[in-house]
Amino acid sequence: MSPLGHGVEAFWSGLLAGRRSPDGAVPPFERRSYARSPLGRRIDRTSLLALAAARLALADAGLAAEAVAGDGTGLCLGTALGNLNETASFLDRLFARGAANPLVFPNLVLNAPLAYVTIELGITGPTAMVTEEEASGEAAIAHGVEVVAAGRARLCLAGGADELDATLAAVLGEARLLTRGVPRPLDPAADGPALGEGAGVVVLEPLAAARKRGARIYACVEPHPGFAVPAPVHGWATDAGAVAAGLRPLVRDADAVFAGASGSPPRDTLEAEALKLALAGRPVPVTAVRGTTGDFGAAGALDVAAAALALATGIVPPTLGTGPAPRAGLAVVREAPQRAALRCAVVPGLARGGMCRPLRLEAVG
Amino acid sequence: MPRASTRAVAITGLGAVTALGPDVRALVTGIAEGRCAIGPLTLFSHAGRCRIAAEVPEAVPVPLAAVAPATARRLSRADRFALAAAAEACRDAGLDAALRQQTAIALGATTGGMRETEEAYRRRRAGEDRRFRLGRMLGTPLSTSAAAVSQALGLFGPRVTFSTACSSSALAIAAATDAIRAGRTRLALAIGTDQLCRLTYAGFDALQALDPEPCRPFDGQRRGLSLGEGAAALVLEDADHARARGARIHALVLGHGTATDAYHPTAPHPAGAGAVAALRAALADAGVSPERVDYVNAHGSGTPQNDAVEVGVLRAVFGRRLPRVPVSSTKSQLGHTLGAAGAVEAVVTVRALGDGLLPPTVNLRTPDPAWADLDLVREPGRRVPLAVAVTSSYGFGGHNVTLVLGRAGAV
Repeated sequence: MSPLGHGVEAFWSGLLAGRRSPDGAVPPFERRSYARSPLGRRIDRTSLLALAAARLALADAGLAAEAVAGDGTGLCLGTALGNLNETASFLDRLFARGAANPLVFPNLVLNAPLAYVTIELGITGPTAMVTEEEASGEAAIAHGVEVVAAGRARLCLAGGADELDATLAAVLGEARLLTRGVPRPLDPAADGPALGEGAGVVVLEPLAAARKRGARIYACVEPHPGFAVPAPVHGWATDAGAVAAGLRPLVRDADAVFAGASGSPPRDTLEAEALKLALAGRPVPVTAVRGTTGDFGAAGALDVAAAALALATGIVPPTLGTGPAPRAGLAVVREAPQRAALRCAVVPGLARGGMCRPLRLEAVG
Repeated sequence: MPRASTRAVAITGLGAVTALGPDVRALVTGIAEGRCAIGPLTLFSHAGRCRIAAEVPEAVPVPLAAVAPATARRLSRADRFALAAAAEACRDAGLDAALRQQTAIALGATTGGMRETEEAYRRRRAGEDRRFRLGRMLGTPLSTSAAAVSQALGLFGPRVTFSTACSSSALAIAAATDAIRAGRTRLALAIGTDQLCRLTYAGFDALQALDPEPCRPFDGQRRGLSLGEGAAALVLEDADHARARGARIHALVLGHGTATDAYHPTAPHPAGAGAVAALRAALADAGVSPERVDYVNAHGSGTPQNDAVEVGVLRAVFGRRLPRVPVSSTKSQLGHTLGAAGAVEAVVTVRALGDGLLPPTVNLRTPDPAWADLDLVREPGRRVPLAVAVTSSYGFGGHNVTLVLGRAGAV
């Protein structure tokens, strides 16, 4: 679920066409399209986005929702900030009137999306809610990969969601941390990200099982635990060499990189320098989906989806907003999609505080 | 799903910051004395019917030598709790700089920096500040605590932060165990941290989930939970690696199980389906039959619903033997420390195993008649040799985690 629309087709065709969302918001949808349990009326937006993406992923995988109910299915979701809208209104009421809304409070726990999706889909296997700021989507999917690889579930839905919120926009806007124009990922002239929202969920299965049931396989992925480097606790690492050392083995044979760059100068600088060092001069196509979707903590889940789609189609989508001289001389795909023989794509998964949870996807067959 | 590996993982370091005091010694002493740390709520004002909590009593010293002053000022109280507990655990485990460099972090939390953030939000909305003070809100992302621990203590292994309500740090311990079993790391610091905040306190009170008096887990007159705060940390280590470097092994993580109710955002499954599954899966993972369990450290939150469902879970798994298995709730002394509960109660259980000393259930005046036959350890200070214990955490949203722990040298 993205600002480009609902479902994979809208996302992918929008990315390839270089469509720009006017406000970074997921277009309106009927709650009842995705929330079918008696609790459906109460589900908050972040959880609803995650649920919608989960249902769409199952449909895309050719799996009936009933088929995944039970303890053989796992669920790993990530979010950076969770349910912001209802948290703000809960606090407003608390501070204005000293009253707290008991119907809203259960929605404010960070794992509300996990709870609602397990209830709606009847998933009783291993579940986890992870939070890793800018790498929340990648971290959740990486955790899901570990769950399946360890044989703890036959099937795992994994991904993340984060929502747009006026208070967040006000906080970042007042701190002058958002772009005044459009986001320019990996462009030296970038003046900040634009906010977006959305949810991405992938269906993970053991490769052999997927082949056996004749599933359409976008890509395959190995578990990787991620790594950490010295960095300011609340900021971006400044030692690109340390990040490059961790990424180098993963990008050694990469044919495309789906960067998390958003138009935030310290973030983009770190990622660009690290990729330049790690790629060691190879002109690997780089693209940044956040130029289209805007920035939100779980956007990395959409990066993973885009990387998988790229491997399946042999097309790398263009980055919106980047000028002709990207940072670090990276080969950023601009202006038009790039066709290439793609066997391996990497999502770096960088986050503040020195965190890195990369994913390496490979084409199949 | 059955697991192939049942290798035990060693616990070689412990740290804690709780309402009973600033370190593990204070915690263990308080547990042994049966002291209830639930007292008046002083951290902030609250206009509801409940006015008590188990607050961490004093300013907590934290190791900030490696952290820039500007960063230190922006750490939340939850970050500080995590740092203090983590520092104690790393010291306890004797981790030098080289070992710390490779140590992974798995952290569980629920409120993070919400106390600081809600206050900054309030001030802005009330016009007391003319701009949002972003510097006061930097602890909002829960993963900040893990970043703070990593940077302050020099821990640069893989890192993950979980938030599954009350089972968050139990899940962190489970994940750290898996990482070591899979050979992804030889050392992992599992941490749980949480701090009281107005949002959470008001929310639980609005749900009528809080007891206006200190909570009474398993009592027939129990009325709800008491909120607490704090942090605990455990150094988990590959057992061979621990033995090779001569580390003191407190206990072993023998196994764990995670299962989901898929039932309701707050209410537990009436038959405890997920809790039963988690307990059974944990015992199977540990290769331990129910007959070998010597002690159960319960979730025991003190709500009418939880305790009833939990006893049902224990009866389902332990059967007729249950009256001979001591069961106690540490929440009777520390309140419900939310995201920190899994780790705090694991530390308590580890020390119980090592000391052969049962943590009590305090405030228990009259057990519910439905379980008059159970041994709820109403008196502190009972000494019993313990080899195997389980500790369970049940989170909002039906997320259930059970850990099986074994005394070093006994299993």
